Amino acid sequence: MSTAKPGETPLLAGDRGTVGTAVPARSRGTGLDEVRGTSEGASPPSPPAQDCSIVTRGLTKRFRGGQVAVDDLHLAVPRGSVFGFLGPNGSGKTTTIRMLLGLVTPTSGGCEVLGEELPGGLGAALPRVGAVVEGPAFYPYLSGAANLRRFDAADPAADRRTAPDRIGAALDRVGLSAAAGKRYRAYSLGMRQRLAIAAALLRPRDLLILDEPTNGLDPQGTREVRALVREIAADGTTVFVSSHLLAEVEQMCTHIAVMRTGRLVAQGPLAELRGGAAPRIRIETPDAARAAAVLGRLGLAAVRAGEGEASAEPGEVPTERICAELVGDGVAVRGLAVQRPSLEDVFVRLTGEGFDVDG
Amino acid sequence: MSTVEARAGAEIVTGGPGGPAGPGAARAAVPRDAGRRVRGNTWRLLGSEVGLTFRRPRNLVMLAVLALVPAVIGVVLRTVSAGGAEGDAGAIIGAVAGNGMLLAFVSLFVLVPLLLPVAVAVVAGDAIAGEASLGTLRYLLAAPAGRTRLLAVKYVNAVVFGLAATAVVAASALVTGFALFPIGPVTLLSGSTIPVAEGMLRVLIAVAYVGAGMAALSALALAVSTLTEAPIGAIAGTVVFVILTQVLSTIPQLAVIEPYLLTSYLPRFDGALRDPVATEEMTRGLLAFAAHIAVCGSFAWARFHSRDVTS
Amino acid sequence: MPTYTRRGRIVRWGVPIAAVAVVAGAVTAGPVIAAVQGDPVLPERSAGQLLAEAVRAGQSGDVPPMSGTVVETASLGIPGLPEVTGDTGSPAALLAGSHEARVWYGDAGRVRVALPGRMSETNLIVNGDQAWLWESAGNRATRIKLPEGHAGARPTPLPSVVTPQEAATRMLAGAEEHSAVSVTNTERVANRPSYQLVLTPKDDRSLVSEIKLALDGETFVPLRFQVYAKGSLEPAFEVGYTSVTFSPPAPENFTFTPPAGAKVEEQTLGADAKRVPGGLTEEGRGEVRTVGSGWTTVVVLPAPDADTLRRQASQAQAPSSAPSSDPSPGQGEAGQAGQGEAGAGQLVAAVLDSAERVQGEWGSGRLLRTKLVTALLTDDGRLLAGAVRPEVLYEAAGRK
Ligand SMILES: Nc1ncnc2c1ncn2[C@@H]1O[C@H](COP(=O)(O)OP(=O)(O)O)[C@@H](O)[C@H]1O
Ligand SMILES: [Mg+2]
Repeated sequence: MSTAKPGETPLLAGDRGTVGTAVPARSRGTGLDEVRGTSEGASPPSPPAQDCSIVTRGLTKRFRGGQVAVDDLHLAVPRGSVFGFLGPNGSGKTTTIRMLLGLVTPTSGGCEVLGEELPGGLGAALPRVGAVVEGPAFYPYLSGAANLRRFDAADPAADRRTAPDRIGAALDRVGLSAAAGKRYRAYSLGMRQRLAIAAALLRPRDLLILDEPTNGLDPQGTREVRALVREIAADGTTVFVSSHLLAEVEQMCTHIAVMRTGRLVAQGPLAELRGGAAPRIRIETPDAARAAAVLGRLGLAAVRAGEGEASAEPGEVPTERICAELVGDGVAVRGLAVQRPSLEDVFVRLTGEGFDVDG
Repeated sequence: MSTVEARAGAEIVTGGPGGPAGPGAARAAVPRDAGRRVRGNTWRLLGSEVGLTFRRPRNLVMLAVLALVPAVIGVVLRTVSAGGAEGDAGAIIGAVAGNGMLLAFVSLFVLVPLLLPVAVAVVAGDAIAGEASLGTLRYLLAAPAGRTRLLAVKYVNAVVFGLAATAVVAASALVTGFALFPIGPVTLLSGSTIPVAEGMLRVLIAVAYVGAGMAALSALALAVSTLTEAPIGAIAGTVVFVILTQVLSTIPQLAVIEPYLLTSYLPRFDGALRDPVATEEMTRGLLAFAAHIAVCGSFAWARFHSRDVTS
Repeated sequence: MPTYTRRGRIVRWGVPIAAVAVVAGAVTAGPVIAAVQGDPVLPERSAGQLLAEAVRAGQSGDVPPMSGTVVETASLGIPGLPEVTGDTGSPAALLAGSHEARVWYGDAGRVRVALPGRMSETNLIVNGDQAWLWESAGNRATRIKLPEGHAGARPTPLPSVVTPQEAATRMLAGAEEHSAVSVTNTERVANRPSYQLVLTPKDDRSLVSEIKLALDGETFVPLRFQVYAKGSLEPAFEVGYTSVTFSPPAPENFTFTPPAGAKVEEQTLGADAKRVPGGLTEEGRGEVRTVGSGWTTVVVLPAPDADTLRRQASQAQAPSSAPSSDPSPGQGEAGQAGQGEAGAGQLVAAVLDSAERVQGEWGSGRLLRTKLVTALLTDDGRLLAGAVRPEVLYEAAGRK
């Protein structure tokens, strides 16, 4: 499993404040503050349901045969967020998405999509939802454009007169204009994935649900999808994107939820979840014991001294001051680093396990 | 970990009461003429469906084969003396040599027991199972096509195809008949003779009747199609049903079940060749077709609505 | 919170269940309607009055113009029959399964009976002193000359389909002597209120449990004739209208011009009606006698022994593919004569194979039992038959 390198993107480098300012479009009416509040220990209100694009209450799916794919899921996806739905393979992400789209009937519990209670509100909600579910699926004997025409025809709210323009625009947006007339059969996996995203973008959507949109894409394609998601989110569309790749989600999401064998392990704004794990300062030195003593004197928490290094949580103490104190005390500082925890670390802390395939 | 779970739970509990306020605000975005739009766009979906069916190479090949059979029968009857024909229908097969128009009835007689039902089963059995196996079913439903709407469109499409296939047989037979044999007043099975124009009308009656029978078969195939994700299974199931019921109806001990079998009514199109037209018999057939459509159609609907789309 | 309820699912499956119920209801609507309309709808009449009316209607020749569909159903339970019922032209076919005929009746001189087949039709059209038999399967029209003085008389329709009128007339003769007769006035046949005469044999050695005759409540035309065998709820034999209209049929029904290209033949009625299908040839005829009376009457006739019969049967089958030289319409067979003979031959062979070997004081032979008829072929060359228990046949066989 990949590990996110800390500090690789602006998103990660930023503290809570910078998350808000780096992507201002997303914070419009997201109820971000309320959600953030939850990390402070009290139980402040989650975003009110009308500010959520998706709300699930105790959503449960038990397949015939007894397999519980989703177990008592309570999700709240703030409007305007880019919501990362994380979980190893087989953790119930796709099943949840199928329930949100009315493809699978929940065993118990309910859900609300764009303010419409399912299953009654499916007809009203779904035209405003674009979705990619478990990879692309199209008619192999039709061209890309003909495939999009077909799905546009299936949408009762789509206007036939504007169809050619919208199809052209959608293909253009995913960079498939040149291959529009080619049979789907002849598409590469990456092109297929893009066509699926194009189908989800046939009309302006209020909610975009993307199930593992970067599966099968090369690094270049992955970057493009990330850019596309940011662009779409900048228009005010809520994006609900599932993935088993932590790094991918870290780079584009404002909020995440983590699934594990059908159960929700954590959810909230990304910065806050990561914030739950404090950064550590690590000093590389031959006299670790002396270094540890200095750190303790400075009032740092969780001081540890190991073989050739000492570490602690700096808390509010500025790094430069720690450095000056160490040097002033004559500790031979060979290296000094402040490490912010990656999402992987957060996940391991939450589950005590690695991020592997679920049964 | 436990703290996180507790927190997630707390969010939900507090989030719950806010729910009812949501829908009203969001619904404002739905266009006011939505009803009309849905109806108009159902025609668009049907157009797309029919276009897909009639552009699909596999279906075109089947139509071509169906068109070829009357031509082959015509050529054979033209070159080989029909004296060897046996059975009750032998005479009418022989009569084609005297009147090409009868080739339409002979072709239907030959194709109705198996080939025509197979063609219809391929299209109707593929309707739901085919989309499920391609995975396109989930995207159609997410579009959202609507389950009832999609099923209705699929069914109408199958009916259109069945009627088209029957019409193709009749048209090909008429063209072949006109090209190879003399055309004149038609001698009916009852021994009376009617003018050419009325003969054409009788062909139309037969085509409409067989088309209705194919509509009933489509309903059955559609019902089977909602049961599986393998189109081959749905098609084979329907074809096996067609063959099995015809075999069963030849067993005298099982004569009691014959009135309940769809396939016993299919050959009754020959009522169009009687004088007067056997309306009573054909009406009974049409009622049997309607009963099949009602039962199989509603079963397909209930099944499709309860089905989890996990393909 | 409105969610995915169990109720929704039940309501959904209720739709196909309701559809099945509606269809099943429509299929059984006949009996249901009959049950609902079971109140007396016709003025009460005694059996005597009814018989008189029926005989008058049947014999005075003023049967009103009508048309309808007659269905004949037989389930006689003849062992070995299934193999031979494949082709509908065979007389054996009429002994099992269901057969349909369309009947148009203008007046005594104008009758049309059509037997539909698959892509074929056999028609008998009688118009005054002219009669045509049209067999589409053979592309053959036979002009039948009725014997002198026969013009205007009621012709014998195809014997393979007995019309209700005829069956009734036969039955009415001397019915009351041996039977308990009762009348109901609540029957509904071909959707018409009808009287029903029920004859129950007084002699309990008869295999017949009941004979029912339904008469139209308005015109007294017999609409249905049923024979019930003992121990069976369904009639062993039934012939009746499934639909009937009492209005003059279109005149085109009674005109016939042989179509161009058809074989046209002439036949005088009665000239060629001597043969009996199935190898029971003329040599055996002549000495037919009956033993007993009423329901337990046993017919005794000389017959070749089983081996000879079998041989004759197989001979009859062999030439069946050769074109039939005499399309004997007098014999009245619906299909081609050759075919019919072959079918009968097969029937004899099949029936003989299933017969049970029996012996007693009267001698030995083979016994054939069906629901309605028992037949005994003795080794000394006699054939005994009747709608009776085997004991009655043995008793008759003992009386040489
Ligand atoms: N149709 C089905 N029948 C039975 N079990 C299923 C079905 N679909 C999925 N599952 C099971 O449900 C669990 C969750 O699957 P899924 O939602 O596809 O996970 P993810 O998308 O997170 O990889 C898996 O254990 C899978 O085996
Ligand atoms: Mg998945």
